[in-house]
Parts: sequence; structure tokens; C-alpha cells
Amino acid sequence: MRKPDGKIVLLGDMNVGKTSLLQRYMERRFADTVSTVGGAFYLKQWRSYNISIWDTAGREQFHGLGSMYCRGAAAVILTYDVNHPQSLVELEDRFLGLTDTANTDCLFAIVGNKLDLSEEGASESLEKEGHSSGSVGDGCVSPKVPKQVKPEEAMALYKKILKYKMLDEKDVPAAEQMCFETSAKTGHNVDLLFESLFDMVVPMILRQRAQGPPQTVDISCYKPPSRTKSGCCA
Amino acid sequence: MEAGEDTAAPAPGDAENLEDTQFPSEEAGDGGGVHEDPTDLGDGSLEETGSGTNDKPPSLLSSLPQSESPSCNCELWDPSASENSPTGDPESGSGGQGGDPSDEDWRSKRKHVFVLSEAGKPIYSRYGSVEALSTTMGVMTALVSFVQSAGDVIRAIYAEDHKLVFLQQGPLLLVAVSRTPQSAAQLRRELLAVHAQIVSTLTRASVARIFARKQNYDLRRLLAGSESTLDRLLDSVERDPGALLLGAVRCVPLARPLREALGALLRRCTAPGLALSVLAVGGQLVTAAQERSVLAECRLDPADLQLLLNWVSAPAFAAGEAWAPVCLPRFNPDGFFYAYVARLDAMPVCLLLLGTDPEAFHDMATCRRLVEDGMHNLGAMRTLGEAASFSNAPSANAPSYSVQAVGAPGLWHFLYKPLDIPDHHRQLPQFTSPELEAPYSREEERQRLSDLYHRLHARLHSTSRPLRLIYHVAEKETLLAWVTSKFELYTCLSPLVTKAGAILVVTKLLRWVKKEEDRLFIRYPPKYSTPPAASSASIDQASHNGLFSGP
Repeated sequence: MRKPDGKIVLLGDMNVGKTSLLQRYMERRFADTVSTVGGAFYLKQWRSYNISIWDTAGREQFHGLGSMYCRGAAAVILTYDVNHPQSLVELEDRFLGLTDTANTDCLFAIVGNKLDLSEEGASESLEKEGHSSGSVGDGCVSPKVPKQVKPEEAMALYKKILKYKMLDEKDVPAAEQMCFETSAKTGHNVDLLFESLFDMVVPMILRQRAQGPPQTVDISCYKPPSRTKSGCCA
Repeated sequence: MEAGEDTAAPAPGDAENLEDTQFPSEEAGDGGGVHEDPTDLGDGSLEETGSGTNDKPPSLLSSLPQSESPSCNCELWDPSASENSPTGDPESGSGGQGGDPSDEDWRSKRKHVFVLSEAGKPIYSRYGSVEALSTTMGVMTALVSFVQSAGDVIRAIYAEDHKLVFLQQGPLLLVAVSRTPQSAAQLRRELLAVHAQIVSTLTRASVARIFARKQNYDLRRLLAGSESTLDRLLDSVERDPGALLLGAVRCVPLARPLREALGALLRRCTAPGLALSVLAVGGQLVTAAQERSVLAECRLDPADLQLLLNWVSAPAFAAGEAWAPVCLPRFNPDGFFYAYVARLDAMPVCLLLLGTDPEAFHDMATCRRLVEDGMHNLGAMRTLGEAASFSNAPSANAPSYSVQAVGAPGLWHFLYKPLDIPDHHRQLPQFTSPELEAPYSREEERQRLSDLYHRLHARLHSTSRPLRLIYHVAEKETLLAWVTSKFELYTCLSPLVTKAGAILVVTKLLRWVKKEEDRLFIRYPPKYSTPPAASSASIDQASHNGLFSGP
């Protein structure tokens, strides 16, 4: 049995493209995906480590399971749609709370997907209005077109999350490193997203191993202590 | 892995929700057992949704949208159609393109199925976008509440070549508008199946609670993404009518020793809280095993099993391992199980494990590996793979056989449901039918055959004058339907066959089925699997002595 060493969870409102992102990365293809039911589990080998990735359903209906998926997660990918501001708002309102069960040193990545749509849709309006939205994003390779959600907003959310988690900005990767804009359709930034996260998760796995046995009990090699015969069942 | 942590369970239902959970929990303190409502709806999320278009209570006749409300005839969607304007948010449309009731294409559909809330809010429509249909649905609500106000219940309207069937289930209203030869009873059964499908994703209690809190809640928010499952369910009635018509499941034809070995394998591989394991290929049953402690006195209802088979063949389960809550409406419409679904070895073989523990994903995954290894040892993967690839139907990897196998010339197609059950075996209702071959390879022809079967079925099971045997020479084929204490049979024969010839063919068919019955059906369903350790006893006691009162 291949045991996952680290866990990454994809969260986000429905129809922002979580499954498509994962599919693009794992299978190198983009297809019109169907709505995810519950959560789906994938295992990715990265160097000598097995990293499990949970793709979750963004539908409200499966919301109750969210914190189960997040339990023990080393990294959470919060996904929004750059063309739907509400999907970024939802991240804070509905999904951030689910990450309470993740590891205390859990990493957060904020990903604006469907960048391809904003490029297409905006190229016309750009000509009409004759202005470009200037310098946006430091770490993100962003096209110079108006988008519904600016990278700055994602970075602001990232800082809010750090506050929520009571983490010091100095101890965690900078917002520029953790905010991505991707397109599952073209594959833009998708490899960068997953692979930089994997690279960040690996040291966490090593650190955890160094810290000694995990808090969880491995049932398979657990030998129960000789049973004391107490009166209650006799 | 995550096994031993004691962080709070994800509590799909809040404490208040659990009061109507009838299902025993494993340990009263934790999140075991069958849960309520995965949705965890706060009041807040309800508030922000209502678009305020239909705030009126359903009983008010004023919810009639137009004054020129149509009389109860088949032109239900005719009037005022053109002035429809789509309402509601555009992103959550279910039907997609078109759907304007004035649209000729939309109107030419043989059968429409609608689901709406008591307040007249559209929830689902097989064709077209629900937004465009809000006026039409308003009329339906009006019809229902008009009859209701007289202390009566509207069941069906017959108008020329149309049948309109109404079914009220809690706060949901389901309506079928059909030009097919299906009887009202058959349509009603179809609506019940649609309702069961909705309940399986949301649970009945949760639907009731949502509408009790906010009458004009837009249920599409919760069903988004499930519409395709409903579409597939309704399409299957036209293409492959057996399952719903006969209330039975179809089994993958398989040699009895192999099927029994697989059954034994499923019983051997257990996990904590595991209630039911099912192996399926292309929506057909290979074998299933029930856990005694969970489903002891309760036979798995074929409708529930069919629903699961339909559910796991959804494209959403085509890759990876999935973990999701699902409700079995016949077993307990108010609680739900956690389902583990995975394709084995990238084959079309699908394993479904239903359990009560929301945290058991990794246990279930271990269980799957055991099943996988066991199947390799049995060489079952190859056999099942071959069974699936035999079919030349392009639609799915559905294992089947040719009608030629019967060796009765003149026989074109049949449905056979055995009614003789071996003693001491609680048999699952099953049926068998060969692949649809020429002349039934085209869509229209399949639809026609489905219509013929529905017609025969309606005549045999007519409440006023049931029949046992029908011999009918139709334009393009000869039909013979026969129900006895041992079987229910529908055959479709060449139009040139004589009556004596038909009887000969049917005799041959019956002999063939008898010879093959161990392969075609699960004659001796596996007994229960052994309960893993402690959990079972406490569950039974808790549920029987009534001490269990929820966490």
C-alpha cells in the first residue's frame, strides 16, 4: 500500500475549475468536466514522496464534508474564478472555516483560475476603452487586461488568512509566492502552482518526520495492550 | 493516517438536525452512524438566496401568473409563453439552451418532467432552462393548489394525446407531461424515481427543513450538478426500459462459481462501519454483500440498488477515488451513508462501499485494495473486462449478450423477470434482456420498442382488468407478453411469425433461460458478511431498546 506522506486539498466555490486544474496537472488535458460528487482522491508521486490531493465538490450540498477533507492537510489550495468576484468572497465566507482542521503549519495558496476567459473577453473592451490596467501582480504573470478580480485582492485575502490563523508574515511564504493566476484550459501556471507547492510541502514532511512519531496511531502495527478484564462487560 | 485524531467530526448536520435521525450511531459521542443532511445550511445562507420573485404561500391562488390562465388542457404551456422573461441568476441554469415554452423544438419533446417547489419555484426541467419556465410552473402550482383548496388532490389530467401526472412529495411537486403511451401509473413511478434521486442527494428531512425555514428557497443551489444524473435516469426509460418498468436490477451475465467467489470476497473484505459493498460494471450488478449488523432485518430495496447503480455510473466517478454522502430513500429517506466509489484497476469495474463512518475513507481504500488483490487472484478482472467489451453498443461499457444466443430464430428482443425464488433466499428482484440489436439499433426504434413494452406492461398490470397473456400482431413486430407465478416475460418477435411459431419460440426461450439462469441471475445471493468486531452488538441493542438518543 502506498501511504500518502502529505496532503493537499483543493477548495473553492462550485464551477471555479478545481477538478479541471487537477486534471490539467495530472493528465495534461482539459475537458469539460462534470460536477464533482463529494470529494475525489488522487495520489501523486513527487520525488520519493507520495502526496495525496483531495479534489472537493464546491457545491454547498457537500459542505459538511469539507473539514474532513482538510484534516491534517499540509497545504490548501483556495480556488476562485478571476471572472467572478463572488467566488473570492466565498473563499473567506464559506471555505476558510473548513481549514481549521488542517495542520497548524498548513500552507495556503490562493489561485485565480479561468484566466483564459478574461483574456478573450477583455481584448475587445481594451480596444474600445483604450486603457490597460497597468502594473498588476509582482509574482504573477498577468495579462494586461481588465479582470473582475485583481491579484491584489487575492493577496489581501492571503494576508487576512494569516491574521485569521494568527501566523506571522515573516514565518510563512510571502503573498506574492502563494497567489497564482492560472488557466486550466491553456495550462498557464498550472505546473508552477502544483510543483512549487509540492516543493514547499516536502520540507514539511521531513520536519514532521524529524519531530518523531505522528500523533495519529497506525492501526496496522498497533498491538493492543493485554486487555484488562474490567467488570463492565463481564 | 488520520485515524486516531480526536478533532471534532465534521458534523454534517448540526445537533438540532439529529433529532430525526432514526439510525443508530456507532459510538453515541462521535459522528458515526447515518447522518442528517450534508448541507449544513445556516440561516444566513438561506437568506441571501431568495430572489423574492415568489414569496407568496402556495395556497394562494394569486400565484397564478397571468389572468388568462389556461383551462386544463394540453395547451398548458401555450398562453402567455412569449412574454416569459428569464428570471433568477443566469449562472445556475440547469437545462442550458433554449427552453422558451414557445420554442417549437421544446414543445415537440415527447415527455417533459418538471420539479418545482410548493411555492412554484422551478427546480428541475428535463428540457430547456428552468428560468424560462417559471410562468409555466406557476400555472402548475395553481392547478395543484386549486384542487387542494377543495380538499382534494390532483392526480392526472388526460387531454387528447397528452397525459399530465402530478405527484406531491413533501414540499416538492413533480409533474410529467407526456405524449408517450406510458400509463399514468408508469409515469407516476418515474416521478417517484426522480424524487428518490433528489432525496438521495439531499435527504427528505433536509428538503423539508429547508422549505420549512424559507418557503421560496431556490433548491437548485443544492442540486446544481445533479441534473445530469436526473437526465440520465429519465433517458434510460426511453432507451432501456427494463429496470424501472419491472422494478428490478440487471445483472452482469457471469458463471456462477466466479460470481459466488466474488460474493465471498466482498464478504471477507470489511471495514469499520461498512454496511454494503457492491461490484458493478456499466450500471449492472455483479454482486453485492450486506453487512448484517447494519442492514440486518432490512432487505435492500431494488429501487435503492438501482439508484446506486445509476449514481456510480456517473462520469464524476470515472477517475480517482471518491468519497461522498448518499441517502438510500427506501431504506431511510432521512439519513445518509458515506459512499466510497472507485474504479478498479482503471477497468470499467466499479466498487461501491457504503459505510456509516464519515472518517473511514482510508479504511475503505484499504478495503478496496483487498478486493482488488482478491479479484486478481480469481482472475476476475479479465473476465469482467471481457464481459464489458463484448457489447458493441457504443453507449457504455455495459456487458450484455446477443439475442442470437437463445437460438430461437424470429425472436428479436425480450425482457424476462423471474418470480420463482429459491426457498430461504431473499432474492433481489432481477431481470435480463439481450442487447438491443437491429432492427432496434436506431434511437427512434429503441424508443418505439420501449413504448411497446410500456403498453404491454400497462395492459398486463391494469388495475381494472389485469391480463395474464397478450398476443398482439403489430405493424412491424409481433408481441407476446406473459405473466405467471414463475416469471414475467415480454417478447418481441418477427412480424411474420405464426401463433404456433410464437409459442414455439417462447418455449425455446424459457428453456434457454432455465438452462442459463445461474449465469443470468444471482440465484443464491450471498449471506451477510461477518461483522468486524464489537460495533455490531451495540448498534442492535441501542436501536432496539430505544436508549439511543443521538449524540
